[in-house]
Amino acid sequence: MTGVATAPAPLIAEHSAAVAFRQTIALAKRSTLELFRQPALVVPSLIFPLFFSFLGNSSFGRTTSLPGFPKVNSYLQFQLAGTITQGVLFGSVTGAAALATDIENGFFYRLLAAPTARTSILFGRLAGSTLFGALETAVFVLVLLPFGADVSAGLPGIIAMIISGALIALAVGALMSSVALKTGSAEAVQGTFPLLFILLFFSSAFFPRETMSGTYKTIAGINPISHLVEGLRALSLEGFSISATARAILVPLAIAVVALFVANRQLQKRLRAN
Amino acid sequence: MSTIATRTPTLTTSDMHSTTARSSWQLVKRGLINTRRLPSAFFPALAMPIFNMISFSGTFFALTKLPGFPTDRSVNWFMPLGLAMGSAFSGVGLGFSLIRDLENGFFDRLRMSPTSRISLIIGPVLATWIRVTLVAVMVFVAGTLLGARPTAGVMSYVCSWVAAIGISTIGAGWGLALAFRFQDMRGAAVMQLSIFLTMFLSTAQVPLNVMTGWLHTAARINPVTNIFRLARAGWVNANDADYLSWQNAYGGLIAIFVLSTLAFVFALRSLQKIDN
Amino acid sequence: MKGINLEIKAGEVFGFLGPNGAGKSTAVRMLTTLLRPTSGSARVAGFDVVTEADQVRRNIGVALQDAAIDPLMTGAELLALQAVLYGIPASLLKQRSNELLERVGLTAAASRRVSTYSGGMRRRLDLALSLIHQPSVLFLDEPTTGLDPMSRLTLWEEVRRLNREGTTVMLTTQYLEEADQLADRIAIIDHGKIVREGKPADLKASVGAPTLIINTNTDQVEKANAVLSTFGDLRPGAEGALGVGLRGGAAQVTEVVRKLDEAGVRVQHLEINEPSLDDVFAEATGHRLEGADNAPSAGDNGDEQPQKKKRRGKK
Repeated sequence: MTGVATAPAPLIAEHSAAVAFRQTIALAKRSTLELFRQPALVVPSLIFPLFFSFLGNSSFGRTTSLPGFPKVNSYLQFQLAGTITQGVLFGSVTGAAALATDIENGFFYRLLAAPTARTSILFGRLAGSTLFGALETAVFVLVLLPFGADVSAGLPGIIAMIISGALIALAVGALMSSVALKTGSAEAVQGTFPLLFILLFFSSAFFPRETMSGTYKTIAGINPISHLVEGLRALSLEGFSISATARAILVPLAIAVVALFVANRQLQKRLRAN
Repeated sequence: MSTIATRTPTLTTSDMHSTTARSSWQLVKRGLINTRRLPSAFFPALAMPIFNMISFSGTFFALTKLPGFPTDRSVNWFMPLGLAMGSAFSGVGLGFSLIRDLENGFFDRLRMSPTSRISLIIGPVLATWIRVTLVAVMVFVAGTLLGARPTAGVMSYVCSWVAAIGISTIGAGWGLALAFRFQDMRGAAVMQLSIFLTMFLSTAQVPLNVMTGWLHTAARINPVTNIFRLARAGWVNANDADYLSWQNAYGGLIAIFVLSTLAFVFALRSLQKIDN
Repeated sequence: MKGINLEIKAGEVFGFLGPNGAGKSTAVRMLTTLLRPTSGSARVAGFDVVTEADQVRRNIGVALQDAAIDPLMTGAELLALQAVLYGIPASLLKQRSNELLERVGLTAAASRRVSTYSGGMRRRLDLALSLIHQPSVLFLDEPTTGLDPMSRLTLWEEVRRLNREGTTVMLTTQYLEEADQLADRIAIIDHGKIVREGKPADLKASVGAPTLIINTNTDQVEKANAVLSTFGDLRPGAEGALGVGLRGGAAQVTEVVRKLDEAGVRVQHLEINEPSLDDVFAEATGHRLEGADNAPSAGDNGDEQPQKKKRRGKK
């Protein structure tokens, strides 16, 4: 080509908070759609937990009068918080696995090559998981409510639960994303599944801590998942109080903040390595 | 091409005879070697029962305080469950390795050998039994460390072991059948799901007299409940209705026998479908 | 499989030639007792494949298209297993295994797991497994597909050697060169039916006339074919080239060119080929064999790296 033509105005806008926000939304849309388009995801994150809660209700219905068991109308009322935690936990792992897959198949680098704000990549992915977590929580509450999973805190309590569920999804998603960013392997992320499963069991997700004994009780006491679950449970059992809401929202929020920090560190490390 | 030369074989046809016993034993060896070499398949099979035992007996520790609960020790109740889950998945693991063989064509080679079709099944199933026995020993040791105490002496272990072998046999037949049917890893997902459901819709977690509602009905008709009764026969209190007795044992034995037979008939039918 | 009728004589090498999906592998699976025929019957090594399946199995060796091996085991272990399954007495087992390992050149690798073998090594092991019981009939299903040129030639040599020792070999292939080189007689199969059968030399002679191949503009194809058809049977070439079997021999070339020129056909490229199995195939089926241009020296994938596990599709 001869001569110098004036370059056309670039289609790419300059970096700004508004642009970063739009990018985050776009990526959030993508990761949300990805999650919802996988019907295979529905089973472990929705069907299994629901199945277990119904199974638990029929199995442990008579245990609610045991010493140490909090006052409940039904086992399901007790179990709701654990079901939500279980479902959200598994759903969040999948979102992070998708991030690892992006790294594995190179899409991540395509995003990097474009003038995408770096944090948008992470937040966009997490937004999807968070939304999914909120939705799952709503589904669990709606499905189990007619079967006896009363929420003492009423509608405000349910809203608080949904926020809590979203925050738990954010927290776990961020932690798993750190794993994804560090290893770049979807298989490694999926490999944390059994670990989370074990953590879930060594907590008060399925049965009150007060009824446990010995070393097991101690482990359940220091397990962060116990505290996540008990925050949610407070809304089911105690009614809409400051303390219940605080526990339900502040605990996952605190974990989420730390997790986001860790995830961002990992993101920076990966970016520097390129 | 050149003229046909007469072969001078080092083997004559009368030298060669493939007996079922010999072939089966060789396949047992193969099964055990492969288990050792694929730790990703074996380790969960061992870790899972022990983990189940620990987590269930810890989480639901308070169950034993329910009036009329068959035993005073949480571990006594949940150790057989851990072992049962491990055995079920060991059995189904046979289906997993068959899928591997189907996918890489090795199964065709086995089919083309003149050895009896039965030896192709007996060998791997025996290998499964050996694996399950190993797992059982380790579970018993771990359980004892956690505080499990038999209430019927040696028979406590025998009953649990028989139940475990039985469950793994059913799992093996079922796993083989699904492997022949699906011929790829989708079969694996179906295997896991079906085993899970069958196990948990029974007295896996709580005895019949604690259950309520639909689960109680399901568990009563589920033959696996009988197998759990057999497995726990030597671990419940001596005064419990389900304590070791011929009456309590034979229900489980019949269930094992019938379910295994059905599973293997299904497996054979599915194998025949491959021929066509 | 539409229905095939053939007879393979003891001691010969018989080639089954055809494109992918023609039905070669299906035929082999039926003859090796892996698949039950829906109608008709077959006898291999003197035994019926359905009612006397076990005797058939005792007398045949099979190496299928994908090496049928267990990647977790070592070469030696696989041979031992095969030997036991075929009933080789324990006293002879070691000797026989070693013999075969040496024969296929895997003695050094025998104690390594098969997952570390390259594609060529796996094929060789597969061959060893098929020979452990000294079968009188050997089935090879596409034995050199995907092999590098060196391995291909080595395998051909081995087939010839086995045949000299008296083994009947039935081989399926999509490579004309392979059929031409190895087979005493061949059958060409297309869409589940045998379309030609006989000795390669005879088949080529029956096609007889050399093929003249030209390339021309697409708008002139009809005109060109009209001219060509006056000289003999049309034989379509690869990638849109036009061809004709010159009844009058290669000397007719000048005549053809003149007639094409008179008709206003612009010839971009011209060549003359002596009859090959490709021509036999084209004449019998109306199209060229897929990948017919792949002479063995081209080689498909030269595998010398350990192969990753392949998914086995249903045929």
